[in-house]
Amino acid sequence: MEKISKSAKLYLALVFIVLYAPILYLIFYSFNSGDAMNNFESFTWEHYADVFSDTRLIMILINTVIVALLSALLATIIGVFGSIGIVYMRNKSIRNSILSLNNVLIVSPDVVIGASFLILFTMVGVKLGFASVLMSHIAFSIPIVVLMVLPKLQEMNSSLIDAAADLGATRRDIFTRVIIPFIKPGIFAGFFMALTYSLDDFAVTFFVTGNGFSTLSVEIYSMARTGVTLTINALSGIIFFVTLILVVGYYFISQRGKNPAGMGGRK
Amino acid sequence: MKDIINAIVSIIIVCVLLFVANDYLDKSSGKAGSDTVTVYNWGEYIDPDLIKQFEEESGYRVVYETFDSNEAMMTKIEQGGTSYDIAVPSEYAIEKMKKNHLLLPIDHSKIPNLKNIDPYFLDLSFDPKNEYSLPYFWGTVGIVYNPSLLDGQTFDSWEALWDPSLKGQVLLVDGAREVIGMGLNSLGYSLNSTDDKELQEASAKLKKLTPNVKAIIGDEVTQLMVNGEAPVALTWSGQAADMMSENDELDYAVPEEGSNLWFDNMVIPKTAANIDGAHAFINFMLGAEVAAQNADYVGYSTPNKAAMGLLDEEVTSNERFYPTEEMRDNLEVYNDLGPKMLGKYNELFLKFKMGKN
Repeated sequence: MEKISKSAKLYLALVFIVLYAPILYLIFYSFNSGDAMNNFESFTWEHYADVFSDTRLIMILINTVIVALLSALLATIIGVFGSIGIVYMRNKSIRNSILSLNNVLIVSPDVVIGASFLILFTMVGVKLGFASVLMSHIAFSIPIVVLMVLPKLQEMNSSLIDAAADLGATRRDIFTRVIIPFIKPGIFAGFFMALTYSLDDFAVTFFVTGNGFSTLSVEIYSMARTGVTLTINALSGIIFFVTLILVVGYYFISQRGKNPAGMGGRK
Repeated sequence: MKDIINAIVSIIIVCVLLFVANDYLDKSSGKAGSDTVTVYNWGEYIDPDLIKQFEEESGYRVVYETFDSNEAMMTKIEQGGTSYDIAVPSEYAIEKMKKNHLLLPIDHSKIPNLKNIDPYFLDLSFDPKNEYSLPYFWGTVGIVYNPSLLDGQTFDSWEALWDPSLKGQVLLVDGAREVIGMGLNSLGYSLNSTDDKELQEASAKLKKLTPNVKAIIGDEVTQLMVNGEAPVALTWSGQAADMMSENDELDYAVPEEGSNLWFDNMVIPKTAANIDGAHAFINFMLGAEVAAQNADYVGYSTPNKAAMGLLDEEVTSNERFYPTEEMRDNLEVYNDLGPKMLGKYNELFLKFKMGKN
């Protein structure tokens, strides 16, 4: 790796401080025995104990994670097939219009999407709750997945497929052994993007929650009137560390997988 | 391909495990029916222990959900698709919901604890005879101030806010009714005024306040006041109580000329699936001990006379949060002014804001 200059290092450090300072500030006060984020009284684990004794909060957290995982998974599956369909579409003008429609969904405001879903669901008679939240999360995640997978597909040299066909691969073989391994980084990127989008989405979820089903973002928002408690700081701290552990864990696993035998996308 | 399948399988396994965990935590998750009561309340507006106590005593399961504004709550109920058995709107929202036929009448014979409520809080203009709603908490609009940052000013009169020494120091809540109401009150007019001349006068008076205004903001008021970054703010009594519990230098006053008296009442929306359960819940919340415990936890003023006796003497004798009846005579409840008049209020408020920002 090339050496980076001192000023570049300083700049990088500054950027990271700006990015992480609010999170660390929030976590710091989760250990405050006082009631607010203004002066630090003394160290306590009380707020962490509160998180685990509040079953409602835990259930909301679990709901949030289930919706995020399931919607990201389904959106990724749908999005991957969709992108393959788009890339191999013969008619250029139809392909372009589908791509534009996909992009329109990405740039349209969440409030508009949320309100339309609310109207749609109540019109069709879908009960607001788990199903409605899951469906809307899948819907707004698909365009993101398509956007992540499409460049990988376009990058792929079409002679790879021709070569595979010449060597006697069936359509299924081509799909599972050529296309999917090649676009795998895009698939994972799409999945994780969809996951984070779903985890922190407020605007859409706000419209379609109901019947005792709620997610973390909506719950925290509704505390506006009386003020967010430090329990939320503690919960955010826990989520932050779990994410950190997952990322570090993923890093080590992928490092270990990088031994010479595991070259290429074939495994 | 293999690792993709592995990933899919592990995600599904994790989801199933989480589902099982959630089910274990609460068997009632997401299902409304005859044995559950779905409560739709403001965030952090109930002592969670009381929900457990109600579940044990009544045998109903409670599904608890929260909202952050009357408007959001009304939209959800109007759209349907949910089955809330209880909601807790503010008075003007109740009037509006009544007009739009979103509420079911309350059967008073099923609420024996109604006798605990101070008659003063019953039969009010927004819901005569309490046909559709019963009181939950109440409060006022007033001025919270920090004497250590001021030189001896007090706020017994709205006029004090116009004092030139407060240049660029006053915080206002971002609410048209509250700010225009303050303008009207300071001139001795009703804060439900629909008289064009009075409104113009009030807006001219507010214009003179402009140099004193530091900011027109929402919930950040609490932090700014607690941290001593501003000496005075127009706010609600509940929010003021919150601030005062975090910074004991602060004080709260309701000006003599009059101000707003607000209520959050329990109602049964027309979407209710369990009307008996809803009545049981209302009756439970009106119990003396329950109401006292809840007021202690939430910090707002309870309309429950029987509960007052159980609360800390220091709290209930505090006239800033439990004003005497005499003081309350100057206070007014918001009427639903109708969309046209409300538009006028909003317009005047917007003009005032633009003069500022």
